[in-house]
Amino acid sequence: AFSFLKKHILGNKTISEEDLKSVLDKLQQKLISKNVAPEVARHLSQQVSKDLIGSKTANWTSVENTARESLIKALTQILTPGVSVDLLHEIQKRTSQKDSEGKKHPYVFSIVGVNGVGKSTNLSKLAFWLLQNNFNVLIVACDTFRSGAVEQLRVHVENLAQLTDESHVRGSRNRRGKSGNDHVELFEAGYGGSDLVAKIAKQAIKYAKDQNFDVVLMDTAGRRHNDPTLMSPLKSFAEQANPDKIIMVGEALVGTDSVQQAKNFNNAFGKVRNLDFFIVSKCDTVGEMLGTMVNMVYATGIPILFVGVGQTYTDLRTLSVKWAVDTLMS
Amino acid sequence: MVLADLGKRINSAVNGALSNSQDDYASTVDHMLKGIVTALLESDVNVKLVSKLKNNLKSKLLDSKGDNRSISNGQTKKMIQKAVFDELCDLVDCRTGESFQPKKKKCNVIMFVGLQGSGKTTSCTKLAVYYSRRGYKVGLICADTFRAGAFDQLKQNAIKAHIPFYGSYTETNPVKVAAEGVAKFKKEKFEIIIVDTSGRHQQEQALFQEMVEISNVVKPNQTIMVLDASIGQAAEQQSKAFKESADFGAIILTKMDGHAKGGGAISAVAATNTPIIFIGTGEHMHDLEKFSPKSFVSKLLGIGDIESLLEQ
Ligand SMILES: Nc1nc2c(ncn2[C@@H]2O[C@H](COP(=O)(O)OP(=O)(O)OP(=O)(O)O)[C@@H](O)[C@H]2O)c(=O)[nH]1
Ligand SMILES: Nc1nc2c(ncn2[C@@H]2O[C@H](COP(=O)(O)OP(=O)(O)OP(=O)(O)O)[C@@H](O)[C@H]2O)c(=O)[nH]1
Ligand SMILES: [Mg+2]
Ligand SMILES: [Mg+2]
Repeated sequence: AFSFLKKHILGNKTISEEDLKSVLDKLQQKLISKNVAPEVARHLSQQVSKDLIGSKTANWTSVENTARESLIKALTQILTPGVSVDLLHEIQKRTSQKDSEGKKHPYVFSIVGVNGVGKSTNLSKLAFWLLQNNFNVLIVACDTFRSGAVEQLRVHVENLAQLTDESHVRGSRNRRGKSGNDHVELFEAGYGGSDLVAKIAKQAIKYAKDQNFDVVLMDTAGRRHNDPTLMSPLKSFAEQANPDKIIMVGEALVGTDSVQQAKNFNNAFGKVRNLDFFIVSKCDTVGEMLGTMVNMVYATGIPILFVGVGQTYTDLRTLSVKWAVDTLMS
Repeated sequence: MVLADLGKRINSAVNGALSNSQDDYASTVDHMLKGIVTALLESDVNVKLVSKLKNNLKSKLLDSKGDNRSISNGQTKKMIQKAVFDELCDLVDCRTGESFQPKKKKCNVIMFVGLQGSGKTTSCTKLAVYYSRRGYKVGLICADTFRAGAFDQLKQNAIKAHIPFYGSYTETNPVKVAAEGVAKFKKEKFEIIIVDTSGRHQQEQALFQEMVEISNVVKPNQTIMVLDASIGQAAEQQSKAFKESADFGAIILTKMDGHAKGGGAISAVAATNTPIIFIGTGEHMHDLEKFSPKSFVSKLLGIGDIESLLEQ
């Protein structure tokens, strides 16, 4: 029994590859069962190996616990954004500057991602967050493809108008004759091809500038990341609209494909442009299986701006890295 | 279909292991199993299923070779392929007997359920078009009163496809809309009535309760769960929960035109013992294909002639 203790429990043991193998296998398996892609799980376990082989376990600490700690460190490192961004402050700064005509340039976001992940819903949550921070928001219906996409945004604009002003009458027009009120408005031009999309985007930004909006949120159609005919219009869209931030929405339900989804969207805008942020939606539907967020950040190094945790406007949260790592390790 | 990629990888694991003549049989099997396990995990097949499949295969292969030490490499390969084939079939072919067939001149109600954004509304129209082209009188009902723009989406799809539809902009209770729609279409002697519902998930009890209530009033002849092919490890628990509450009898696997390998969906099939009947291969209303598990697995493994394999 004593030799068992010596081998497994007592600290101050030099860790060899041999010692780590079965421990790492187990940890990898756990990560995969939490929806971390196998290639990402392998990478993480290599990080742990690099970190630990040749080092000594601390007093009273087993190899297993030492490896866990190291993995926690590696996961935390992946999920922690490299730069801290205070978006509200950035928007504030921008909108306080006026050009020679006394106009401000609106801060423009576009939202991209594969089909059905929650782009339009999370765009509306973003709008709610911005409205709460006293910015005026123009929501732009650049999904001119999917049935009901424009009407979906109109319902959100009506809801948001009611939330900012109880006296808002649903379906009424604001002083510019559009859906919404003074704070939030819908810019739309119906349905059509990708030429229409770029046209709407440019018109909307000009309109937002003329009408003194602080922020423009552009919804786009869902697209398959493996189809070049769907992905290539993104590049010209981004060139024409020149958004300040491009946000990809990815859903927590997706498995290993999340790695490729994130990569392909990040590469869709050409050499000089990347994604700026992820929103990882539907985190409320996966229980402890939060692996997708690790996959997406691992694949691209792009930080997570928010996580979506439900279907209402307040279900948008800043990612707590500690919560995510604890959940993945539990 | 990208799922074929999994087949290729399994095949190359089998071939690779067999071509290495230095190994004894047991290490050949080990080698091959490792390759298969990696391929399956990378395709999102559930972790527990993978380890079960691995153990089954291992004991099967080691046992059968034990009886007969002198068989040729070619025969060994066939034997291994058959064992792998059987195991994968067990995963996706659920032998639940006769599948649902709508009856002409009768009223058949089909209800759709599934997670948020999986493709229910789109697939409803696709299925309506499928049956309408086969001479059925089909109607669509939007019993999703929650998602913004849900009725407009279904309505625009239905109009494009020339399918009669029912829904409401003002009624907020989906149970009521569903009941009214079914009653109306029944009265008008529709043969197939397809009911679209909101997306929901296991973690929200109230949403599941609502699904049960809709099901109770529309009394579906068939309930279909729609699953996104890119779903990962959450597939098993979600589909089990849907099975318990909605007792769906078939699965439609959507977005198979994507890049995902569909292993999560295979796990859902295994977890609920429910067959996939159609796959969605695009956003347009005709992008729907019939699905047969056996030919799917044989394609997966690149086996042309399954029968010869089965006769072995
Ligand atoms: N549970 C949950 N559901 C969500 C979340 N975000 C979005 N959804 C739901 O996901 C479904 C799809 O959302 P949409 O916003 O329409 O997705 P989309 O990406 O715009 O879809 P397309 O435009 O068709 O590609 C809706 O039912 C939303 O309510 C979330 O964080 N949690
Ligand atoms: N590429 C591709 N896209 C699909 C397929 N089926 C559905 N979609 C797209 O996936 C997105 C979501 O589809 P919906 O039909 O709205 O999904 P839903 O399950 O009704 O969503 P909720 O009602 O919000 O839960 C849309 O953008 C569809 O066009 C498919 O087979 N292939
Ligand atoms: Mg959308
Ligand atoms: Mg729907």
